[in-house]
Amino acid sequence: MSPIHDQSYRHYGGTKAAPGHAWAVIATAGLRTFLRRRAFLGIMLFALFPFIVRAVQLYIAANVAQASIIAAGPQTFRQFLEQQDFFVFVITVYVGAGLIANDRRANALQIYLSKPLMRTEYIFGKLAVLVVFLLSVTLVPAILLLLLKIVFDGSFAFLRANLFLIPAIVVASLLQVLLASFTMLALSSLSKSARFVGILYVGITFFTSAIYGALYAITGTSRVSWVSIGANLTQVVDVIFRQPPRYATPWQVSLLVIIGLVAVSLSILERRVRGVEVVT
Amino acid sequence: MTPRTPGYLASALRVFDMSTGEMLWSRRTIFMGLIVGAPVIIALVVRLVFALGAPSPTVNGTVMAGPAIFGLMIWIFYLRFIVPVLGVFYGTSLIADEVEDKTITYLFTRPIPRGAVLLGKYLAYLACTVFVVLPSVIIVYLCITPVRGSLGGSFVDLLKDLVLLGIGLAAYGAVFAWIGAKFKRPLLIGLIFIFGWEQVAMTFPGYMRQFTVAYYLQALVPHAMPNDGVVSFVQSLFHQTASLPTSLIALAVIIVAFLALAAATVERREYVLEQ
Amino acid sequence: MDAPVISADHVSKWYGQVLGLNDVTVNVPPGITGLLGPNGAGKSTFMKLITGQLRPSQGTIRVLGEPIWANPGLFFRVGFCPEQDSFYERMTGLEWVRALVGLNGLDEKAADEAARRALETLELTEHADRKIGAYSKGLRQRVKMAQAIAHDPQLLILDEPLSGMDPSLRRKTIRLIREWARTGKSVLVSSHILHEIESMTSNILLINNGRILAEGDVHQIRDLIDEHPHTVYVRANDPRRLAREFLENDDVLSMSFEPGAVVVQTGKPDAFYARLTNMAASGEFGAIEEVTSPDDNLQAVFQYLVK
Repeated sequence: MSPIHDQSYRHYGGTKAAPGHAWAVIATAGLRTFLRRRAFLGIMLFALFPFIVRAVQLYIAANVAQASIIAAGPQTFRQFLEQQDFFVFVITVYVGAGLIANDRRANALQIYLSKPLMRTEYIFGKLAVLVVFLLSVTLVPAILLLLLKIVFDGSFAFLRANLFLIPAIVVASLLQVLLASFTMLALSSLSKSARFVGILYVGITFFTSAIYGALYAITGTSRVSWVSIGANLTQVVDVIFRQPPRYATPWQVSLLVIIGLVAVSLSILERRVRGVEVVT
Repeated sequence: MTPRTPGYLASALRVFDMSTGEMLWSRRTIFMGLIVGAPVIIALVVRLVFALGAPSPTVNGTVMAGPAIFGLMIWIFYLRFIVPVLGVFYGTSLIADEVEDKTITYLFTRPIPRGAVLLGKYLAYLACTVFVVLPSVIIVYLCITPVRGSLGGSFVDLLKDLVLLGIGLAAYGAVFAWIGAKFKRPLLIGLIFIFGWEQVAMTFPGYMRQFTVAYYLQALVPHAMPNDGVVSFVQSLFHQTASLPTSLIALAVIIVAFLALAAATVERREYVLEQ
Repeated sequence: MDAPVISADHVSKWYGQVLGLNDVTVNVPPGITGLLGPNGAGKSTFMKLITGQLRPSQGTIRVLGEPIWANPGLFFRVGFCPEQDSFYERMTGLEWVRALVGLNGLDEKAADEAARRALETLELTEHADRKIGAYSKGLRQRVKMAQAIAHDPQLLILDEPLSGMDPSLRRKTIRLIREWARTGKSVLVSSHILHEIESMTSNILLINNGRILAEGDVHQIRDLIDEHPHTVYVRANDPRRLAREFLENDDVLSMSFEPGAVVVQTGKPDAFYARLTNMAASGEFGAIEEVTSPDDNLQAVFQYLVK
């Protein structure tokens, strides 16, 4: 062997992951980017404030006899998820607006898709970034609250009496999160400006509510709530938690609207996430 | 010897000429068109429904005639949503869009004051939004008002609505032009202002409401305030408006003051473009 | 001596904790000046300061004798071609240049004429009515220059003007810049491409780490760089015989041989050249066919000063 070692380029000799795992690289990079930002960490911490308040409520209700009036029931978890709607909105705009828009702006889509990375993996990776953050302010604290309830009560009685709560929390959170994520990701793929995407998302959210408000004022009935994205979600989640629905619209219609919205978002993503843009 | 720069207004008008086309034919306008198109579609549907013989809606036992429905739509759609949202949407982006697109350099390396660039873009925003919003109001009026009402009878109200919405676009646009020039995240601040601060300030009695644009605009509305939710109900309990002359003067002051502030901010601020 | 077109006096600029320019004092003379430096040297910061986009944190900057910050009137006499590839893509080349030159106060007709003239100068007439969004990179670069020259400014500031251009277009543009300078305009060109700056001008401004390393004629600067001896390449019939003679003198620091030539490192180039001239004239050392100095150029100055 020569005493002078070869200094030239060396090929990677380690093991390579099987195809189909590239989405995790995109997701990890995205998560790290946001976790480095102090302002974002501040928002996430603030989003956990309702959890802290509820946790204190559970503790007091379990340990102070006179406080039984604030005892938690299934509606507590429903209300908690509803309170988190605001943070879901803020985090979706903050995190989601630039997820694909910034890549389009930097012409990075071509670079991504020139690697052994499928479009589905790219979309899934980006989706994972948003979903992880959103679930951490919805599903995770809601399940933690349930656990705290059990711990503070010192028994599984509440859980046994409300076994449906676990799947209800999971399904409702996923519905809330996936609707926001797919919609925002689809909008993000439409523009190169994250700011414009944020404006679009805010506009669509408030606008559909405004349309419902006008129709409700004109017709006097809430059967038209299906035009409002927020109202549809509220309706379906109410049913999941076995609460009386707030609107006269059948919950099946609301669910169909939500599914339709997700389908439209997927269709937009399929068309927009491409390596090459043909300009005629 | 350096020649004199063109006058402030002349420079602003040149920028206006340049920006209007860009603003009007951008994707943003499609979004604006959809927003103002919705009340038009609703108006057409309502007219069709009545034309097919459906009974007039009743709210709390009162039959809703066309002019009342029109007034409702002015409040709910235009005054509470379209005008402030367009103000946020466009006003905060007047300079921010140019900075993001890195075209601001071309405008700031011309022999015109920076404030004139802002004023020109503001005028372009005003022209584009007025050009899109006011015709939609007229179409809604033509569709809705004839239902148990008359076009002639409510014509003066229509004119008042058009003027008030124009003033609203100008006022919100000026406020958000300054917010856009001054702050790093103007969109968030703008949304908190219209959906947070203005809602809260208008709910409570006292002087807080005088620090909103809505307080003065609402004084110009010729229609009764609708009762379409808890917030509206509470606001209606403490509903008070300024007098017409006070409102007009206040709105004029708001427009001039915030535009001047925005222009001064743009003159002093350094814009570092993203590398 | 002509008054400088740009003068910076103890100018510093920082962005928060990051120092962009550090106590820069420089005078840019009339004519063509090349602004050189590696990435992150402070070229863009300097460009933005002299075009009034940024204000110095300390010090003063004067362009054509007047402060540039908050003095838009100066832009009647200054034309700027920025580095970024950004346009109003929906506009045609003619519309865009016309709109921008219209901001100089020209009426519609005059703006149209000025725009057409500028586009013709840059050979864009046939593309004038196409949308900029459909332009190639070279066309985009040219239309950017067109808006900078349309109002016939006295001082042109060009930030990476040759970027994205093919070799023939680069040659044409360099020729154009030299023509502008011959008509009395001053041009400050920022570039990474050393040999192209060299073909435009020998007057350079070298910047690195936010400081000016050198300003002036590239050859004078080279002479002053003592720690790097000059290299002289001498091709001759009998290079070894020449080499024996060179060794007699202590200003020759080292030598190496190439086929048919000897390459000398000397600390006193003037003395060396004088002696070499005498040796050639005497004819005693055979024919001397070629004498060149491979490092009396911008590349060498750049390498030696930018560590």
